[in-house]
Amino acid sequence: MELFRNADFDFLGKKWWFILPSLALIVAGLGSIAAQHGLLYSIDFKGGTQTEIRWEGKPPIENIRSAISSKLQGVTVVAAHGAGGSNEVIVSTALSPQENVTAVRQTIENALSTITTRYSILDFEVIGPQVSEDLRHQAAMATAGASGGMLLYLSYRFRLGYAVAAVLAMAHDAVITVGLFSLLHREISLTVVAALLTLIGYSMNDTIVVFDRVRENRRTQPRAPLTGVINRSINQTLSRTVLTSGLTLITALSLLLFGGPVLHGFSLVLVIGIVVGTFSSVYIASPILLAWDGRFGEKTLAGGVR
Amino acid sequence: MNKTLVRKSLFIVAIALAAAFVLLRRPLSLGLDLKGGTSLILSVNVEGTSSERIREVVQQTRQILENRINAYGLSETSIQLYGSRGNELLVQVPGVSDLSRVKGLLQSRGVLEWYSVEGGPYSSATDTAAEFGGVVPYSDKLVATKPLQSGERMWYVLRSQPVIRGTDLRDARTAMDSIEQPVTTFNLTADAAARFQKYTAANIGKRSAIVLDGEIISVPVIEDVIRDSGEIRGAKTVQEAEDLAVELRSGALPASIELMQQHTVEASLGADSVHRGLVAGAAGLVAVVVTMLFYYRWAGANATLALALNGLLLLAALSCFGAVLTMPGIAGVVLTIGMAVDSNVLIFERIREELRTGKSVSVALSAGFSKAFATLVDTHVTTVVSCLFLFLFGTPPVKGFATTLVLGLVTNLFTSVFVSRVAFDWELAMQGRTKKLSLGMS
Repeated sequence: MELFRNADFDFLGKKWWFILPSLALIVAGLGSIAAQHGLLYSIDFKGGTQTEIRWEGKPPIENIRSAISSKLQGVTVVAAHGAGGSNEVIVSTALSPQENVTAVRQTIENALSTITTRYSILDFEVIGPQVSEDLRHQAAMATAGASGGMLLYLSYRFRLGYAVAAVLAMAHDAVITVGLFSLLHREISLTVVAALLTLIGYSMNDTIVVFDRVRENRRTQPRAPLTGVINRSINQTLSRTVLTSGLTLITALSLLLFGGPVLHGFSLVLVIGIVVGTFSSVYIASPILLAWDGRFGEKTLAGGVR
Repeated sequence: MNKTLVRKSLFIVAIALAAAFVLLRRPLSLGLDLKGGTSLILSVNVEGTSSERIREVVQQTRQILENRINAYGLSETSIQLYGSRGNELLVQVPGVSDLSRVKGLLQSRGVLEWYSVEGGPYSSATDTAAEFGGVVPYSDKLVATKPLQSGERMWYVLRSQPVIRGTDLRDARTAMDSIEQPVTTFNLTADAAARFQKYTAANIGKRSAIVLDGEIISVPVIEDVIRDSGEIRGAKTVQEAEDLAVELRSGALPASIELMQQHTVEASLGADSVHRGLVAGAAGLVAVVVTMLFYYRWAGANATLALALNGLLLLAALSCFGAVLTMPGIAGVVLTIGMAVDSNVLIFERIREELRTGKSVSVALSAGFSKAFATLVDTHVTTVVSCLFLFLFGTPPVKGFATTLVLGLVTNLFTSVFVSRVAFDWELAMQGRTKKLSLGMS
């Protein structure tokens, strides 16, 4: 079987059909973040409450999780054992500034009492964030360093225009995904950050495959206009783009649909990221490359040959 | 039969066997979120009541403990503030084999001092007092050694004022001394070195005492003038010497620490959800394999072989590095699988393109591989470059992601380029004169 044997679509001619919705998504996402005074961070970043509960018999973790999750944000429920091997449950919740600590405890007790009365609360405490302020500063450094590193390497292997286009497309994907999370009122946890890193890697990979072909085609036909070269390159790599995206999307969708509530945030980022990342290589990165070429001309691109 | 091909295949089989052996000998340990571990609540004994002061000391303690834990190699351990009293820390350690060592590392204050010995050893505190006529002189003090193997302690009278302290240390490492005993070596700051040189020059042949957390750990005789470096003997094992070096490097804790509570916790993602996640991931992979077999026919089998081998090598490499697999690590594995699938697809599509231009099978195969390889180098190196920065500046979970991904990319280049090529070559070698590739082309 062969998909797209001699594909010849005019991708760049229809770029606005994709750039405009994408801009709209970015604006909506940023607007939502601004309206909610920032992103919704999970307990990993903000701290919250931790309750230690002794349970008679084996605790029904799944039931406890769903009972408390329906009332409070950012809930994790973990089975634990005390020194004497007693059955215990540790419930962690996020704590927003508006929420009262005693009210949270009351809510947890109410939720638990719908399951059984045979429990006792051993300890209820406020806990600080797992990711401290200076670690957040570190994360900003990591992001800046990684982007800078990619920019340098791609400028060396390709040209500055390619590097800028690829990094902008990557930033575009990250912003859209984070914006969608804000629109969907989902919280950013450490797991979601891991997924964001995955999506960034994926998007970069996808863009480079297309650019690599553009570079190759420019070498063989240095005089051909760039629009045509980019279009042909996208068409030539179309089979691989559709197949790779399709195959990875299958795995991500499987995680999203069957992976259970705990993996939901992670797989949602992956699904959004794969779709957005694939489109951005074609409709964001390529038009930026074209615009860069138009602005700074043959001098900087010079056929993309080094 | 082609000899190089056989040799290459044997090489691959050997690597696969080695990886399987590594994994069997040392299975991959899973993180707190996937497998659970131990949660400890520590109380920092801050003197004074000013909340400003308490916060400062607790933050400092947290920082030092984090450094110690990282030096131990347990970067997946989290330390956070706990409770309303403001002086408690919650430490979550993934399921490690040596919990008591971790607990020791967390609780030891790491206050090191070097004294000159005035008298001793004595077998008990009262003996010593008798020796000095009932009272130890004001300028001296009485300190006991760490309990010996028999459980007994020895007592020494030391000059109250230490010659050097832990804060005078610039660095501490472990080494083996001339009789193959583990020792902890240290370097002094310029200021302290001058002091120490003067002291040792004036006291050659006399005894000195190294005191850690209020107990004498060794009583060396000063044999020569020491300037800016020295060593501490007396560790029974390499581990003990290493732990001391870690404690000295990370600096002394500003306050002592007490273990309040200890819990074994199950996976924080929940054993049930980890299981569901595994099943879902496996289902996704099966779908990928089936699609590739359907679309690429025999070549799809090559890709599956490469993918499976990649997974095996990656897990073995992680186990070699002593990594703890957590959710961010799994994210790295997911991206690795994605890029591995992509590598195969890229190569196969390229070979198809070459075949379409009318090239012969073996020429198209070579051209396809070498052209796709150029692309793969760019995608892989770019990702490795960004991982480098994530590893340098990232938070511990992000570091886990970066490590896993880099290892995965290296194994992927090997499997999707080298292994897959050998599989194609076998396919051609088995055929007669007219060669044909099974790539699902009509």
